[in-house]
Amino acid sequence: MRLRAWAWLALSSIWAAYLPGATRPRFGGTLTVELSTGMLDPASPQGHLSVAIAETLVRVNARGSIEPQLALAWQHEPDYKRWRFSLRPKVAFHDGEMLNASSAAPALLAALKKKYSDATITYGGQTLVVQFEHAMPELLAELARPEAAIVRKTDTNPVVGTGPFRLVAWEPGRRISIAAFEGYWGGRPFLDSVVISLGAGPARADVFDIPFGSTRRVVPENTRIWASPPRELIALLAANPQSTLLQALSLAIDRAPIVNVLTQRRGDAAFGVLPQWLSGYAFLFQTAPDIARARQLISQLRLPAISLTYPANDSFVRAVADRIALNARDAGITIQPTTNSGGSLTLVRWPIESADAAAELIRLLGLLGAGEHAASIDPTKPETLFEAERALLDDHRLIPLVYLPELYGLGPRVHNSEAAQKRDPFRLNLENLWVDP
Amino acid sequence: MGGPVSFRTKVFLSITTTVVISVWIVASVVSTLVTNSFERQDSQRTAALVSQFRSEFDRRSTEVARRVDAIANSETVQRLALNLGTSRIDTAQYYDAAQALAKEQSLNFLELAGSDGSIISSAEWPARFGYKETWLLQPIDWKTQGVFLQREELADGPALGLMTVRALNAGDGLLYVAGGQRLDKAFLDSLPPAPGMNIRLVRDFDAPASSDDPVSKLTAALIQNVRQKPRELSFTGSDVTLTAIPLLGRDQQLLAILMVENSRAELANLKTYIQGTAWIVGSAGVMLGLGFSFWAASRVTRPVRELASTVRDVAGGNWDARAPVESKDEVGQLAEDFNHMTEQLVEQRDRMIQAERVAAWRELARRLAHELKNPLFPLQITIENLQRARQASPDQFDEVFRESTTTLLAELDNLKTIVGRFSDFARMPAPHLETIDLNQIVQEVVKLFDPQIEAPDRPRILKILQLDDHLPAVAADPEQLRRALRNLVLNALDAMPKGGTLTLRTQRLDGPAERKVALEVSDTGEGLTPEECARLFTPYYTTKQHGTGLGLAIVQSVVSDHKGTITVRSEPGKGATFRIELKA
Repeated sequence: MRLRAWAWLALSSIWAAYLPGATRPRFGGTLTVELSTGMLDPASPQGHLSVAIAETLVRVNARGSIEPQLALAWQHEPDYKRWRFSLRPKVAFHDGEMLNASSAAPALLAALKKKYSDATITYGGQTLVVQFEHAMPELLAELARPEAAIVRKTDTNPVVGTGPFRLVAWEPGRRISIAAFEGYWGGRPFLDSVVISLGAGPARADVFDIPFGSTRRVVPENTRIWASPPRELIALLAANPQSTLLQALSLAIDRAPIVNVLTQRRGDAAFGVLPQWLSGYAFLFQTAPDIARARQLISQLRLPAISLTYPANDSFVRAVADRIALNARDAGITIQPTTNSGGSLTLVRWPIESADAAAELIRLLGLLGAGEHAASIDPTKPETLFEAERALLDDHRLIPLVYLPELYGLGPRVHNSEAAQKRDPFRLNLENLWVDP
Repeated sequence: MGGPVSFRTKVFLSITTTVVISVWIVASVVSTLVTNSFERQDSQRTAALVSQFRSEFDRRSTEVARRVDAIANSETVQRLALNLGTSRIDTAQYYDAAQALAKEQSLNFLELAGSDGSIISSAEWPARFGYKETWLLQPIDWKTQGVFLQREELADGPALGLMTVRALNAGDGLLYVAGGQRLDKAFLDSLPPAPGMNIRLVRDFDAPASSDDPVSKLTAALIQNVRQKPRELSFTGSDVTLTAIPLLGRDQQLLAILMVENSRAELANLKTYIQGTAWIVGSAGVMLGLGFSFWAASRVTRPVRELASTVRDVAGGNWDARAPVESKDEVGQLAEDFNHMTEQLVEQRDRMIQAERVAAWRELARRLAHELKNPLFPLQITIENLQRARQASPDQFDEVFRESTTTLLAELDNLKTIVGRFSDFARMPAPHLETIDLNQIVQEVVKLFDPQIEAPDRPRILKILQLDDHLPAVAADPEQLRRALRNLVLNALDAMPKGGTLTLRTQRLDGPAERKVALEVSDTGEGLTPEECARLFTPYYTTKQHGTGLGLAIVQSVVSDHKGTITVRSEPGKGATFRIELKA
């Protein structure tokens, strides 16, 4: 009996020891990544794949709010013109130099100057003071963008950051090799190294992108899909405001088949500019297609054939354009999709670059040439965003169609993607992944 | 209008007409034969092409059926059907499956549709997923339906497809696989038409004619005819022959028309060539006719012209003229005969002249005898009286002698006068031409006869002078002219023993070549018979009891010496008019 009890105890121990071992992160190994598009530049972000060579002062967390990264704390004046950041101590660059205000300021100032010429930085010790001549309530969202990463250059290394990986080799346009940074302030990543290559062939790597765009990859079986929240808007833009036509076209387009079939249910129907996760009010713009109403609207118009320009070499957008033309045809509107520029309508893909709704809306309004609506936006009052967006939609300059996430396929060797997504739903963080041998 | 047509023109026209008509007939016959031959050939080529089209149609139908069967039996479609039956599938993931399957089987059309006809995937129009193909739901046994023509709506317009449908069991429902190949230009290109032929598919029957050219109009008319009653039909235009073969769909509806166009350009070119050749040959014929007519004229009309000239010479009094005899043909014979006739006429004329001369001498002798006999008889009687008085009454002889010598002298004077008149006629002098006023001559001569006209013992003669004030001067011998005019006036007065009207008229004559003056002397006497008119100017011919017959002969002699003419017109009982025409 005692023997049996010991036997049971031993088996239970083995089982108990084995089970956690099956999910226990494994250090080591090389992760292969294959991307179908992109510049493959270590100084630029690779889409939403967080290569994490460099880091920003702040980052967007899973709830969409800003949290510290290289900056531990910050304050701003009431007029949002002056911001003070305290840098995280004991952070080292890949070349061993310690992060301080003087080493961070050049990269930060260069990034801010690209968009805000009135930006100035003063620093001392671990403190950075960013000064603007105008109010910058959206500065944190700007600083969370990859472009605002704190990086340096040396004679031998074009990208020296503070991230969990350091650049080992770079063949422009072909391959990037990175290795785990042993001195990373957040702890060494599980992977020893990552090799990112560019190729549009069948996916054979551990991680590969699944674009909605030019190449529809054959996804191997047992592949898990990692999807970001909607980070791209596909919309129809009118070269000139055409109230009745755009209204009729908006009623004629059935977004559900586009979402269900063309995005394979991975996209979201777009009725507004900002996605629901960003604005929180996007559901208020939802409408249902109404062909009869569309026909009625254009019954008094003598419409010629309307050309719809879509980006060349983008089969997904072309499929959307064809579907729009088909819907429009049902309403009696003739639309001819074309890759030639200068169409009366243009199908655009706009990345949602900022996690700050106000900043993103202002940016999109600027792109649309509707800056007059931006003047009424108060970032602290969400209702002003709604009003501005509604006013934009009422202008009938654009018809939002669908939001697209970014998709990556994860091979069976790859683990811990769920935990990585919980930490950062917007990017696939390679530092959280580990692979089977 | 127009003069007589010359022989040369007649020859030219005859040859030209003959050549042109012959060429036209030959050209027409050749053209007709060529046209018939071409049309027969066109018909055969069209029939061959249509037969080839049907063969290719059947071959492709078999091929389409085989390929659609292959797709229906493919793993993808079978899995889709299986999953549809178990309702465990999101059909969205199949939305682009048809494109790959169609590409694999080289089909232009492929649609996968569910039980309700909703398109799951469309190769020809991928964007149509979710739309319904209601025609698939018709109660048709697709197994036996085979391959049929179907009008397919595409994004860039309708297209014609050679389609077939397979209905696969998918649980309680069906999965429709509708596939086919496009019946388009590529299909037609697989039928190599003969040179000059063109084939095309007409699908848009209501499309307006591309232009106003005859071929477009012919095409439009043909399409309308076939639309009204679908059947094979041909129209022939000047440039093209069109044959329309209707292509019918599953429900016998007209979906398209196979238009076979046979160009008649080659025929038109050949016709143009024939016409051109005909023109050239015709023109050559005309030129040949022209040349031959000149040659014929030189061979035929020159002798005739020479003969005509000879005739004119003879007619003009040149009796020695002879036509040259240059050939032994009809014209030569004619010239020879003419010469022979002329010689005979000369002989006859000579004989006539001789006869007339004899007759004139006889007439002269008769007149002389007559004239001389009258004074001779008194002379004889007087001399005999004188002899008888010498013998019987010597006492009265002296008185008788005196009387007789008086008579003898009177009669001798008479004889002398007669002889003088004859002598005068014989001694007509040549005229001494002067420029004279004929009106003045007329007035002077008439004035000489005024006493005689106005003599109270004579019947009343009315004298009328109608003198042209614009009469030109005349070159003439005034004395001879007065003498001639006196004879005419004297004759006129003699012709009106019972009175009448004497009219003298002068007139200016402006002819195309020369200017003349006319002088007419008219009476209202008994007139003359035609026979008298004919012999009136013969010397010693007279219609009077005591005339010498020299008066009018003298007149004619004077007029003739002045290069003039004299004519008489008269009818019995209506007087006579003598007309003299002189050159001004």
